[in-house]
Amino acid sequence: MLTALIFIPVVGAIVVALLPRRRTELVLPVGVALSLIPLAVAGYLFATFESGVAGYQFVEEAVWYQPWGISWALGVDGVSLPLVVLTTLLVPIALAASTSVSHRLKEFVAYTLALEAGLIGVFLALDLFLFFVFFEVILVPMYFIIGVWGGERRVYAAIKFFLYTAFGSALLLAGVIAMAVLHASQTGVPSFALTDLMALDLSAGTERWLFAAFAVAFAIKVPLFPFHTWLPDAHVEAPTAGSVLLAGVLLKLGTYGLLRFNLGLFPQAAVDLVPVLAVLAVIGIIYGAVVAIVQPDLKKLVAYSSVSHLGFIVLGTFALTSGGLAGGVVQNINHGITTGALFLLVGMIYDRRHTKQISDFGGLAQVMPIYSGIFLFTAFASIGLPGLNGFVGEFLVLVGSFPTLPVYTIIAAVGVVLAAIYLLWAYERAFTGPLDKPENQKLTDLSGREIALLAPLVVLMLFLGLYPRVLLDRVEPSTEAILDRIEAVTTYSVPAPGRIGDVFASEGGEG
Amino acid sequence: MIFPEVNWIAIFPEMILALGAAAVLLVDVQWAPRPRTLARISFGLFVAAGAAASFQHFWLAGLAVGDLSQALPFSEMVVVDPFAVFARLVLVLVALLGLGAAWRFVEGLGRRAAEALALFLLATAGFSLMAASPHLVMIFLGLEIGSISLYILAGFGRQHPRSEEAALKYFLLGSFASAIFIYGVALLFAGTGSLNLLDQRQFLAGTILLRPAVLLIGLALVVVGMAFKVTAAPFHGWAPDVYEGAPAGAVGFMAAAAKVGGFAALTRILVTSFADYADVWAVVVGGIAVTSMLVGSVLALAQDDLRRLLAYSGVAHAGFILTGLVAGRAGTPGVWFYLAIYSVQLVGAFAVVAAVSGPASAGSPFSRYQGLARRQPFLSLSLTVLLLGMAGIPLTSGFIAKFGVFQEAWRAGFAWLVIVAVIASVVAFFLYLRVIVAMYMAESDGEEVAAPPLPIKAVLAVAIAITVVFGILPAPLLSFAADALPF
Repeated sequence: MLTALIFIPVVGAIVVALLPRRRTELVLPVGVALSLIPLAVAGYLFATFESGVAGYQFVEEAVWYQPWGISWALGVDGVSLPLVVLTTLLVPIALAASTSVSHRLKEFVAYTLALEAGLIGVFLALDLFLFFVFFEVILVPMYFIIGVWGGERRVYAAIKFFLYTAFGSALLLAGVIAMAVLHASQTGVPSFALTDLMALDLSAGTERWLFAAFAVAFAIKVPLFPFHTWLPDAHVEAPTAGSVLLAGVLLKLGTYGLLRFNLGLFPQAAVDLVPVLAVLAVIGIIYGAVVAIVQPDLKKLVAYSSVSHLGFIVLGTFALTSGGLAGGVVQNINHGITTGALFLLVGMIYDRRHTKQISDFGGLAQVMPIYSGIFLFTAFASIGLPGLNGFVGEFLVLVGSFPTLPVYTIIAAVGVVLAAIYLLWAYERAFTGPLDKPENQKLTDLSGREIALLAPLVVLMLFLGLYPRVLLDRVEPSTEAILDRIEAVTTYSVPAPGRIGDVFASEGGEG
Repeated sequence: MIFPEVNWIAIFPEMILALGAAAVLLVDVQWAPRPRTLARISFGLFVAAGAAASFQHFWLAGLAVGDLSQALPFSEMVVVDPFAVFARLVLVLVALLGLGAAWRFVEGLGRRAAEALALFLLATAGFSLMAASPHLVMIFLGLEIGSISLYILAGFGRQHPRSEEAALKYFLLGSFASAIFIYGVALLFAGTGSLNLLDQRQFLAGTILLRPAVLLIGLALVVVGMAFKVTAAPFHGWAPDVYEGAPAGAVGFMAAAAKVGGFAALTRILVTSFADYADVWAVVVGGIAVTSMLVGSVLALAQDDLRRLLAYSGVAHAGFILTGLVAGRAGTPGVWFYLAIYSVQLVGAFAVVAAVSGPASAGSPFSRYQGLARRQPFLSLSLTVLLLGMAGIPLTSGFIAKFGVFQEAWRAGFAWLVIVAVIASVVAFFLYLRVIVAMYMAESDGEEVAAPPLPIKAVLAVAIAITVVFGILPAPLLSFAADALPF
């Protein structure tokens, strides 16, 4: 089932690539239709996933090359399941939103589907070798998506994106090899299986080096300050679909990796190095937000807001409490939904006006009431208005982080206020006030198709805001298991009230 | 006449190739057939040599364990071991693909086609002998047969002055390297009293040398001589000019065959005779590896000609292969896997060069590749896949190859080398990305590129298949290479 989930988009990409050259009008509908199949499969997984169970489910394993100890091992748990669903949800939306892609559409759709396969693979891989394969192979389609269909400085942005993240994965590769060699020296056989490597006996120094190699790779992906400089370029230059998938899913590889591998494989080093990560996370939260405030370009603003939002996720993850971990996972999803929607919205206005400068707009609410309404709603979700999804994650992270990292949490909370400033101020400048630019007076409101694209995301914002249990029931057992293991193998113990069952965590869960 | 009792099986492939070379020349003199016919004959000869090597593989499997006498015929001048068989198969594959890439070039030669084809056959025979001999003099002879054939091939594009320059430069520096190698061989003989690697191993295992200076100097010279042949830095200076000037159709074969032969001999010498001195030479080899990876990757950045870029990236690849070699015998399978994959990709990439710039041309500036994706989608897709393979992107066999050598080097205690190597491979990404940018993201310069002829299409299809299939399912080739160890 999981293998099929990876291969369906691959087959889809091949099918699209083989469509007859003259029938360009077929490409997009076929691509969207094909990308709905993984969504259906992922939906089925989500429905049949046994909530309340911590371990991996739907596990599949096949030996790849035995002397190296590599295997095709897939499985899904509460941490990865929501991300898989998110990926399969965003791809059809991103594809359907790509009507403005005019040249080489077939390749574009094929690359997007290949990207989807890689992304799903990353989240499902239970073998470090396999994980690395997917982690790195994703760069290729994304590189082409930015480099061929991007904006003015697309080549620069694409190469910067590729090299920056490739540098991170080079360190990761060294770390992965080191782990397998250590496993071979301790047990006699090399292995890349996550569960085998978790049982390694590492000296404190080795563990820290390996932690650092993995952490830098993932920090570049997140991106954590000071590794974030590729992100604005990539986002601004990428086509809308690229931005949606980049912000919605690609960045989550970083936070997912930190949670799955840095906490899972190197618990002691993680406990020891919490201050480093927490400082970087908080700097990212504040820095991203402050820089977002002053952006004249709407797309760049959303890009920097990602830096800020992902800072919250990292903070929650390294708070090492129930609320922090679960909040981080939930926030992964929320950020994917809201930022995905924001990039779609920016893309829609760009298609009409061919500018993203906030100062070129003004009073848009008068001519585009539906657009403005959805924009405001999404902005509220992103800011974390209670009742919408952003609130649940942010609240869980902050409440969860307070017991272990009180000072950082207080500073981070300022980021929530800053988020309100940059988004609402941008809204005020672009949508309210007089409609004084003649170009803006002729703008048309969203078409039925565009509303249909945004509708699932808007519904999810509301649904997850009101009923986060549907996520948390699946996430919490897995994050609890990660915490249990950290407590078991290190001297760290989560201070009360940091675990579920302590006073307030259950309220936090209700949002 | 009485033939001595020898095992002819041991030199089947070389016999086919060398006699075939003579036959091609004679057929040409007698019947003057069209170049295409001669090329077909040569193709058949290579296939026959491949079949002979495959036969050796099965013959070897049936040999009684420990029965070395059968596998070491001709007074132990030739050896049939899995190492040699693997080398022959790789060389034959390289030659077949190289011949395909050179098809148009050969057709355009007219009456000189037979000479070029004979040189293809002889070069393959020479490097094949070089890989299949445990005797230093025989290795040297193989090296010279192969190298001299290549010097001449490099000068075959007579209408281009740069082709002559390439041939002369290759000849002078190559002879210099051979001289260094043979001097090293002499010192090794002085140090061990034998020219046979197996005897040397026995001698060194049973003797503690109080003053190993002669031996070590000899070893160093041998390593340097081979480093020239495989374009490891700082002995790579000739490669860019030769790759740029030699006829486009022949470069891929020249580059790949020399590397396979050179690495085969270097590996055999180091892991057979000097296994006990690994801690001495591994550091030197590691140093050359680091220099090659860094020099190759960085200098390649400054190139604006695809051939020069491939030459410098070849320097970096030599470094990656040497990274596997530091692990000695344990690293040999990784070295073989890498060599097999890389040489196929190299021939494939030069096949694209031949298709884009014309089979007999010199130089291949990036401007020719601007917007190639629109004009020749198959060529640019092929080059992209091959370059991604060289870059070591996962799901290509290049990644498996890199992973293999890195893993062995790390296990052998060369973690620092692996860290340099992974960083160098990121720098190398940039090289290949530049070419891909030119093809996919730049506007066309308007110059037409002819559609590739059928042989080149076939070469590219095979090269892509090897790059992708062994990237996804590497197990068969990995386990084949895992046995490719010298006696």
